[in-house]
Amino acid sequence: MANGDLIVGLEIGTSKICVVVGETRPDGTLKILGVGQAPSRGVRKGEIVDFETAMKCVHEAVVDAEQKSDVMIRSVYVGVAGGHIQSFNNRGCVILPEERDEIDEQDVEDVKINAREVSIPAQNAFLHSIIQHYHVDGQDGVLNPVGMLGEKLEADFHIIHGVRTRIQNTIRCVKELPLEVEDVVFSALASAQVVLTQHQKNLGALVVDIGGGTTDYILYVDGAVKQSGVLAIGGDHITNDISMGLRIPMARAEKIKTEEGSCVLGNCLPGETILLKDDSGFAGKEIERETLNTIIHLRLRETFELLKRNVEEEPFINYVGAGIFITGGCSLLNGIDHLAGEVFEMPAHVTHAQTLSGLTSAVENPQFSTAIGLLKYAQAVQVDRPRRGITRIFGRFFSGMR
Amino acid sequence: MIQLSKNYSLPERQDEPIPIKVVGVGSAGSNALDRVLLDGMDKGDLIAVNTDVQSLASSVAARKVQLGRTCTHGLGTGGDPELGYQAAIESADEIRQALEGARMIFICAGLGGGTGSGAAPIVAQLAREAGSLVIAFATLPFSFEGKRRATQAQDALARLNEIANAVICFENDRMGDMVAPKAGIHQAFGVADMTISQSVRSIVNLIQRPGLIRIGFDDLFAALRSQNGRCLFGFGESDSDNRAHDALTQALKNPLMDKGRMLSEAAHVLVQVAGGPGMTLSEVEILMRELGRHVRDHTQIVFGTAVDGKMGNRLSVTIISSLASEDSVVAEPMPAPPEPFLAPPPAILEQVAEPPAPPKIDIVPEPEIAHSPQSTAGDLIAFEPPAAADATPPAPIPSIKKPAPRLIPPKKKPVVEKEAKPPKEKFIQAKQEVLQFEPVTRGRFEKSEPTIVEGQDLDIPTFLRKNIRVK
Repeated sequence: MANGDLIVGLEIGTSKICVVVGETRPDGTLKILGVGQAPSRGVRKGEIVDFETAMKCVHEAVVDAEQKSDVMIRSVYVGVAGGHIQSFNNRGCVILPEERDEIDEQDVEDVKINAREVSIPAQNAFLHSIIQHYHVDGQDGVLNPVGMLGEKLEADFHIIHGVRTRIQNTIRCVKELPLEVEDVVFSALASAQVVLTQHQKNLGALVVDIGGGTTDYILYVDGAVKQSGVLAIGGDHITNDISMGLRIPMARAEKIKTEEGSCVLGNCLPGETILLKDDSGFAGKEIERETLNTIIHLRLRETFELLKRNVEEEPFINYVGAGIFITGGCSLLNGIDHLAGEVFEMPAHVTHAQTLSGLTSAVENPQFSTAIGLLKYAQAVQVDRPRRGITRIFGRFFSGMR
Repeated sequence: MIQLSKNYSLPERQDEPIPIKVVGVGSAGSNALDRVLLDGMDKGDLIAVNTDVQSLASSVAARKVQLGRTCTHGLGTGGDPELGYQAAIESADEIRQALEGARMIFICAGLGGGTGSGAAPIVAQLAREAGSLVIAFATLPFSFEGKRRATQAQDALARLNEIANAVICFENDRMGDMVAPKAGIHQAFGVADMTISQSVRSIVNLIQRPGLIRIGFDDLFAALRSQNGRCLFGFGESDSDNRAHDALTQALKNPLMDKGRMLSEAAHVLVQVAGGPGMTLSEVEILMRELGRHVRDHTQIVFGTAVDGKMGNRLSVTIISSLASEDSVVAEPMPAPPEPFLAPPPAILEQVAEPPAPPKIDIVPEPEIAHSPQSTAGDLIAFEPPAAADATPPAPIPSIKKPAPRLIPPKKKPVVEKEAKPPKEKFIQAKQEVLQFEPVTRGRFEKSEPTIVEGQDLDIPTFLRKNIRVK
């Protein structure tokens, strides 16, 4: 297998670390060769808190992936999340020189640079700046301005940035292994690449990736990213709530959440109980099912409501036509789509990565959406690098992060 | 030694149905009547009463009474209530004959026109004179029908309110809300008819159906007591897997219900849950608990349940209430009367005698308290012995041998008056307990950077922050 075709996505999640190995085919399709994973330790809310432990876990996951896919992994695309990641929309502007009125590629480059010249907090670094639309002399919604006539070229960008040191921590953790870091990608952006089709992006969609430690979201309208962000609340919080509410250990709480949990209220028989068994099968405490569901429901409802308030700060949510797409480990919770639909008052779906060949069992698990999305993202960027004309793929810039 | 069969149960009580008649007055009334008939109603006679012969002829009601043969000559009243009134007076004997023998009479009328506004109060009057219990279903005209009709309707409504035992009033404007804006006007009127028909049928069923926890007239009046108030009515039926929830949702969707929002203002809510033999206790409990979220703590819930083999897999919920207007506050300060008569021992006996009843009683979260007797007693003297008996303190004995049907409701009253408060206290105590034992902690996130959004530390479990009791 030629190493040049290999792409590896690495997601350092709060509950697990997951490595997906894929291969790009000459016809442009992507095939998944193997998936490696390891339980994560030393990561809280999407950020590394214990460097040594986290590194060991990443190593385990990478070794696992190498064994399963039978390849050597040299470089990876890394997904990042964490409450520090923020985003905003900005517009860049370039006035063409008087003697020329046809827009060329250089102007497009200039406008990109111009749009990035905004102030973000000093400790922050840019992660992505994603082109939304160009405007030529006030004409809206231009997708490719090259060759058009005009005097003023403007471009709207969606800019995602985060705290530099925290992103660097993640990179360092991988580099120490040692593995090459090809790129760092905001995890919701990666997930959206495989969860949504181009059609859904055009219709407008909100992708919500609820992982162990964070809830990442990204909102597409008219095929362009309009809003994105991270809430530092995730499945861990639900587990913690259960553990505290029912007074059981975290590990049990986690187990009962995944096996029995649901966020639908009023659906179980009054007095219905779940018997907690420990590993040896010894029957322990009995808990009421409704209590468990209430705890989960309250937390998730709050998370969605918070997310809704965040998203509603700008008007874009009103133009979402395809609905909400929930992915990530927490999306496996029973009834989560109903709850999201109820809170947002629009259709909500639980989805996983689409349109990929290879290991379907991996593809169909929403826990792997981000890692698989990294492959798709990488593929898109790699196509972009040789510059086959102007594509609307993400304009990248990276300042002194690697 | 006496051996008791474990399968002991009450012999099927097949009491003869209460004779009921449904009268449609005017063309709107007979439209509603037709709808009642089409929807299927086997427990009562239908009588159409109208001045307009043409409209009368097209009615499908079994019995028809033409009003004012000489004064309108078989034509309509031309929207003149005075003429409607005279026509009804002229044909009073015929109406009386038609109404004979009914213990309960429903009058459906569209107010605002001539016959409906003019004749309906007379019909109600005659029905009361014949000793029947009268419940009027009145529709108020759409606002686009003009102010004149609206005033006529209001006058007629006021008169009906004086005469009838209860008036359930439907505002056509509100019903129009549930029709798509593009739908034809006939559809809007159709919806009004349908809602009336639904409520007539469900009230008939409410009273006729052999109930485990029976709802009687007095309960009905308690729910409808706030006169001039707005009537809330909801009916839902479902046979899905989650039928308890679905039926309730459907009932709350009724245009007179406003998604249950109005319920929070009601002082009395009457709920009847009916289902086939497959209806389970837990379904009823789920449903009542869900309904409990829509009403306030001090709202009285009059609960009834019935098992009807004909229902099959379906489960139906009927919610009736009226909005607490000022006069309900006036009516409130009368908890004294129930005190004199202590819980009559027969009540216990009878409850024991009917095995399925006691568990049901336990789950009724807030059983009814009958304030009704006094307010309705005056109206009922002629015909309703039970209610009348309740109203006069020295008559606890008659209340024992009252007709079998209303087993529980009246009897529970005295007992319940005392029960109603203690549960509340208990509830509050329980709440305090929980607040004490849980120290505010962040558990697993103790050492990590807190997630503080909008001034709240989101690492603390939601249920703790919102003080919601989970256990």
